[in-house]
Amino acid sequence: MMTGFARRLAGHLTRGLVMIWVVTTFTFVLIRLMPGDPVQVQIERNIAMGMPPDQAEAAAAVTYGFVPHGPMWKQYLEYMGGILRFDLGVSVESQGVPVADRVLGAMPWTVVLVLTGILVSFLIGVVLGVIAAIKRSTVVGHSLSIAGSLLHGVPPFVIGIILAALFTRQWRLFPSGGVYNADEVAPGLYFDFIGNVLYHAALPAAAYALATYGGWLLAMRSSVASVLGDDFLLAAELRGLTSLTRFRYLARNAILPLFTVLAISFGLVFGGSIFIERIFNYPGLGMLLFSSIGSRDYSMMSGAFLMITVAVIVANILADLLYSAIDPRVRRQA
Amino acid sequence: MTITMVKAPAVSISGLTVAYKTDAGELPAVSQVDLELAAGTITGLVGESGSGKSTLALSLLGAVQKPGRVTAGSVVVDGIGDMAKLAGEELRTVRGAKIGYVFQAAQNSLNPLKTVGKQLLDLGKAHKVRDLKGLLRHAKDLLDRMGLNADRVLDAYQHELSGGMRQRVGIMFALVLNAHVLVLDEPTTALDMITQANILQIVRDVHKEQGLTTLVVTHDVGVVAEVAHKIAVMYGGRIVEHGPVTQVLAEPRHPYTRGLIHAIPRLTGDISAAKALPGTPPTLGTIPKQGCVFRERCALRMEVCETVEPPAQRMLDGRTVACHAVKEGAA
Amino acid sequence: MTERVARVSVRKQFWRGVWRALRRRPSRLIGLFIVLLFIFMAIAGSWFYPERLPYDAENIYAPISWEHPLSTDFEGVDVLALVITGTQGVLLVAGAAGLLTMLIGTAVGLYSGYNRGIGDSILMRIADFVLTIPGFPLLIVLTTTISLGSWWKMSLVLGLIGWGSLARAVRSQTLSLRERGFIEAARGLGLPTRHIVTKELLPNVAPFIATNLLMAVTGYIYAQVGLYFLGVLPIDTSNWGVMLNAAVFQSGALISPDALPYLLAPLGAILLLTLGVVLIVDALEEIFNPRLRES
Repeated sequence: MMTGFARRLAGHLTRGLVMIWVVTTFTFVLIRLMPGDPVQVQIERNIAMGMPPDQAEAAAAVTYGFVPHGPMWKQYLEYMGGILRFDLGVSVESQGVPVADRVLGAMPWTVVLVLTGILVSFLIGVVLGVIAAIKRSTVVGHSLSIAGSLLHGVPPFVIGIILAALFTRQWRLFPSGGVYNADEVAPGLYFDFIGNVLYHAALPAAAYALATYGGWLLAMRSSVASVLGDDFLLAAELRGLTSLTRFRYLARNAILPLFTVLAISFGLVFGGSIFIERIFNYPGLGMLLFSSIGSRDYSMMSGAFLMITVAVIVANILADLLYSAIDPRVRRQA
Repeated sequence: MTITMVKAPAVSISGLTVAYKTDAGELPAVSQVDLELAAGTITGLVGESGSGKSTLALSLLGAVQKPGRVTAGSVVVDGIGDMAKLAGEELRTVRGAKIGYVFQAAQNSLNPLKTVGKQLLDLGKAHKVRDLKGLLRHAKDLLDRMGLNADRVLDAYQHELSGGMRQRVGIMFALVLNAHVLVLDEPTTALDMITQANILQIVRDVHKEQGLTTLVVTHDVGVVAEVAHKIAVMYGGRIVEHGPVTQVLAEPRHPYTRGLIHAIPRLTGDISAAKALPGTPPTLGTIPKQGCVFRERCALRMEVCETVEPPAQRMLDGRTVACHAVKEGAA
Repeated sequence: MTERVARVSVRKQFWRGVWRALRRRPSRLIGLFIVLLFIFMAIAGSWFYPERLPYDAENIYAPISWEHPLSTDFEGVDVLALVITGTQGVLLVAGAAGLLTMLIGTAVGLYSGYNRGIGDSILMRIADFVLTIPGFPLLIVLTTTISLGSWWKMSLVLGLIGWGSLARAVRSQTLSLRERGFIEAARGLGLPTRHIVTKELLPNVAPFIATNLLMAVTGYIYAQVGLYFLGVLPIDTSNWGVMLNAAVFQSGALISPDALPYLLAPLGAILLLTLGVVLIVDALEEIFNPRLRES
């Protein structure tokens, strides 16, 4: 007998693996079967540069993680095998640098940015959403809703551009790029370094927060509006519970459905990382993906895209598990 | 019996009018109602949906929901005061502690994210109960007496309870702080027949054991016949007939009460004898502004009914009836 | 006959409701006006401006004047002309992609909600998949092989990756109609499936389609602008994204105040369009979601 929780986790993992499989198949098709086959192009270029054919092929094999020779299904299996061992090939652009190293190096910066941004925007959005719902017949409530929708509707890059223009150029309060200033601090777990990292992350994280808080506000507003109609709040009032307790009942019940929104939010936010990191010159996954596309570094591009997908999947699973841990109706299923 | 009678307070509603703000202005859902709940009795308040019975029940706790408000009259509970005037902390501490309200089983009256036990503690804290362990003991005792496995229920979430169990938990919540006025809203609706019978038995038992003054709001005359001493029949926001259950059911006077009782099919005898009332009950917007609210569906309609609202007349046998066609002594 | 009369009056009532919701807040009328203005710019822009906008190298970043109300860019092209001609391409693509999204999303949502069962589970897994996959990264990866500068390829790709949320919304609405006994009642009357779907279900899910579609189309406009902004598409058309790219990364508009209008114009256009859409959605929500209606 599996518990509901374990069954849920198993379902998620299966779906996540299927998704990763589809995405890797897609990248394989992209680099091997699409017109302008990058693998073939690289081999030909190597030959043109005076390399003997088998050496050129071997070089391409190192780059992409499979031998571009023989039946296509064999190449495919080899490619998938490499990914299972987390061998994502070697960068085309910077020869000899394993893609996996670069991707793993860029990953934490993006994750830190995205998580900080989402956390901050969640807190602000939820609070304002409650106000917007309770005061929805007043000017305050209506303005909050419109402001929320507006920020929710504006694409993240617009917010990024405005923040960058104001705070890095106009007023020069924040650095215009990088994750920390290597001239001032050396990496390590001490106050100055962490402060420097936060200083560099503040603006892009604020951009994420601004771009996503409207979504939380809107979701929270409609969730609160629907919970306000529930009988248990009237029952709590008739039992003479304090307004603070009743507000807690309301808030907990209204926040719960937001965890399903969290899942969609992660996809959007990780997608938006390309813009934010490009605008703020922040060397995370999005920047890596962007620059690999500029230089047609296909192996790096597939690796970065795969990693972004994995990050979204993992974030989704965590959001849902959190949800099922909080909601007793899910947690205590027979 | 006499001791419990002392504990139970009487409730007297007089001239109560509750109006709801709508696009068409403020419309009364309850209008000029006088009703006496004698100490220690069970009163059944019967009416169709939209008759204003739930609004009346809520006004007993001073809890008429927006956009409604009490525009006139009073609801005086012995030892507490006028519920229509109480506000703030005073009102809050009366609710739950002195007057208990039980929702119908189909409504989710429990917070779905907390166990019954946790919500019981919330209740205790809200009413500054010092001895929370004692409160738990009392709750367990009540649940036990209602035939539930108390420990399991206290550890359960709402979705883990059946309709009948929820109803009992609701009664426990209403009585655990020793309230002596109990309001039950549709206590049997959405329950199967056996559970209905159990719940009504429980209502009778706790009423007697705890020494309560009880109001049972229902659309089911059968429920009233089963548990109540007095019946109050409501139509279009008015109490049209009020009196001892046995008398009213045996010999209804108001044409609406008659229609209501004749509409009930009997298990024995001719089913076709049951006659439905013609027409539909009025809604908030369609209650006539003047004259008798029942006249559209009334067989005894007279000219005076068009313009003059019938006053509640006290009959010799102690009931009140509000109908122009009913004269003293006439049956 | 009576049925037709009833239907006509229902329709009339609907439009009356729309009008009432629009009138309740003048801001909503403004929203409608803004969106219509952009559609007009897209249609009429090519009547007023030649295909290749005139440039004047002597007059770059010109001061604001009647001739150049929003200044000129780094080549001396009128910025207002760039903003106006930039709407046509994006609106065409967004409209076509929106149409595709509507077709797929509605069909999948109705089928899933109406039939449920195995087909429903499979379709919803696919919808979840489409929803989870990070759309923008996918788009820019695709730019390396598909020439997304072509309007129909772009529409196709956008439409194919964007139908997930519409399908989900239509499905849940269909399911809730089913719970309310809609479908059973119609079946009980012996109505054919086609009639139930087109005459009973579709009108009831239409509001959700409208709201969702409006958001999706806006999203598609911004996705294109974003791609041009990043500079991963060939710069051969007028596009707000091209302007932003040049302003932010190339001409240094972030530093030189002369070039500021060139940056602010496309930003302003995006903010204005978003505002218009938001105000219309606000009205739609009130029409279709009585819970949010103000008393």
